[in-house]
Amino acid sequence: MILLEAHNVIIHTTLHEKLVKPSSLDVQFVDFDGVRFRLSTPEKDKKNILLLSMHIRCWDELVKYGALNVLQREYGALLLPNSEPEYNVSLQLDLEQAPADQESREAFVMSLALFKRNALAAPFESAFQAQKRLEGGSQLGDLMAIHYRDEEAIYVQAGSDRVTVIFSTIFQDETDRIFGKVFLQEFVDARRQPSIQNAPQVLYSSRDPPLEIRHVPGLRNSEEIGYVTFVIFPRHFNNPAIAAATVSHIQSFRDYLHYHIKCSKAYMHSRMRHRVAEFQKVLNRAKTEQPTAERKTVTGRTVVSR
Amino acid sequence: MSNVLRPYLAAVRSTLTAALTLENFSSQVVERHNKPEIEAGGSREVLLNPLVISRNENERVLIEPSVNSIRLSIKIKQADEIERILCHKFTRFMMQRAESFIVLRRKPVQGYDISFLITNTHSETMLKHKIVDFIIQFMEEVDKEISEMKLSLNARARIVAESYLTAFNA
Amino acid sequence: MDVNFRKIDIDVYDEDILHETELYDSDPRDPSQVLSDARQKQVAVRTALARSDIVGALSSILDSPPYGPGVDEAKDLTLQTLLTILNTTKAAEIPGVVKALSQDEQDTLMKYLYKGMAMPGWGDISGSVLLGWHEKLTEIAGTGCIVRVMTDRRLV
Repeated sequence: MILLEAHNVIIHTTLHEKLVKPSSLDVQFVDFDGVRFRLSTPEKDKKNILLLSMHIRCWDELVKYGALNVLQREYGALLLPNSEPEYNVSLQLDLEQAPADQESREAFVMSLALFKRNALAAPFESAFQAQKRLEGGSQLGDLMAIHYRDEEAIYVQAGSDRVTVIFSTIFQDETDRIFGKVFLQEFVDARRQPSIQNAPQVLYSSRDPPLEIRHVPGLRNSEEIGYVTFVIFPRHFNNPAIAAATVSHIQSFRDYLHYHIKCSKAYMHSRMRHRVAEFQKVLNRAKTEQPTAERKTVTGRTVVSR
Repeated sequence: MSNVLRPYLAAVRSTLTAALTLENFSSQVVERHNKPEIEAGGSREVLLNPLVISRNENERVLIEPSVNSIRLSIKIKQADEIERILCHKFTRFMMQRAESFIVLRRKPVQGYDISFLITNTHSETMLKHKIVDFIIQFMEEVDKEISEMKLSLNARARIVAESYLTAFNA
Repeated sequence: MDVNFRKIDIDVYDEDILHETELYDSDPRDPSQVLSDARQKQVAVRTALARSDIVGALSSILDSPPYGPGVDEAKDLTLQTLLTILNTTKAAEIPGVVKALSQDEQDTLMKYLYKGMAMPGWGDISGSVLLGWHEKLTEIAGTGCIVRVMTDRRLV
């Protein structure tokens, strides 16, 4: 599994189970980037009413960029005006009103599993629309900042012929930083391949922020920070299906990168362990056999060493 | 590549065989103690001349012999950042398991990447030419392993980048 | 009374202590003599190389080399001269040349090879040339040569 999946697997499986056999539940679970979910049956006797709540760190910023409109569009009546306490937004679903046939049921469950993705989609969608408005001109749209993790942020800005998405990410230790550099260098170079010529352009800088966000206050200046810029062209969002796929895909970039860095470190570890075992075997060949001769006494009894 | 490596390893092998002539020698400083003289470093009397075998500035082997022990330090070739980090991790991995490796030293000598300490007890219980074989094989394998790890890292990075970017096209 | 008696290094006052210089016989020549000897040998080597007499050149440079403290300039000069000889010898000729040297001269050559390998990048030291000579010399003189280098206190 190389690519990360956009939907939340726990929501997906739990809802499928409950559609088959409703029962009362109250689970709290997490997703990438510190997002917390709670799926519960608020009323004890009505097992088919489920409450799904989400807590995202950057909720206020997302609302500013139009997240409520997007969620209204996706979930319609399911969206509750007031969220559960301690959570930012809630959906209320009635399992009995879920569609009956297999396909629509799957689509329904999937759209609920994409709750986080839809909330985070708002700034990207507004940037795509802004780009269409700015087409042909030379102005730049507003710079939208989403601080979705501690110390890391996504910046989105629409231009006349492109949308620029900048990720700032922190590499905790030096190994991560060097592995990250190798990976990101490949991202930058991958465009030379003919099959990926149409992909977004990727740029990387390890300490200095790119020009577009230099003026933003509060940027940390240290060796651990890296900035990755994606330049998305209109062909990546000119029809709704492709636009939706682009948004899902680009949201999880930071998690994708760090996941693969950790996987490589684990792989290196297992290789080293194997090599060390091999060396051990070679060294053991050097050891001589100490002859353990059996010692017998005069009367024929054997000496036992405990 | 290996025809430059061959004389280097041959030189290390012959020097090591010459140096591994160890005998039991009690400490001259403390009564009833028997320490590896190269580590205790008492008088100049028991220490022999250290020898260096080098291929170039980045790859060398230091052999410090003494009457009852020798210390062998290796500096592994590290051309760029990735190799430096991989080498550092690998040697640290091995040194943490020094106990089971018997002849390995827990800390490398200053200026080198990994050190071995071979004493007279080792050369009495183990076959000398096999110890030498082990060291030579170690030197070959470490270089090979680091370059393989670097290649696999680059291949993995390429696949990761490609899968991510092709998904934008679909 | 001196209160700091605990800090005195008692070994310095010990009469039986072994000094570095007692481990070997020091060079009877004085430093300036050593230096002028080294210069003369350099000239001799150059003429020998002009005649393509490798064995003669090596024998003259390896005979009574400067050793011990205080003669660093002579040591550097000798090393430089020796390196020119080693670098100009063709690989095929090395075994023949080495066989023509006496045992003492072979030991001294081995000492210089190790000294050269300890300073990679000095002058025109080439690691592969030194390693090639080392291999051939070990084949002919044996590991005993290396042991003698390790134990001989007279460091060139």
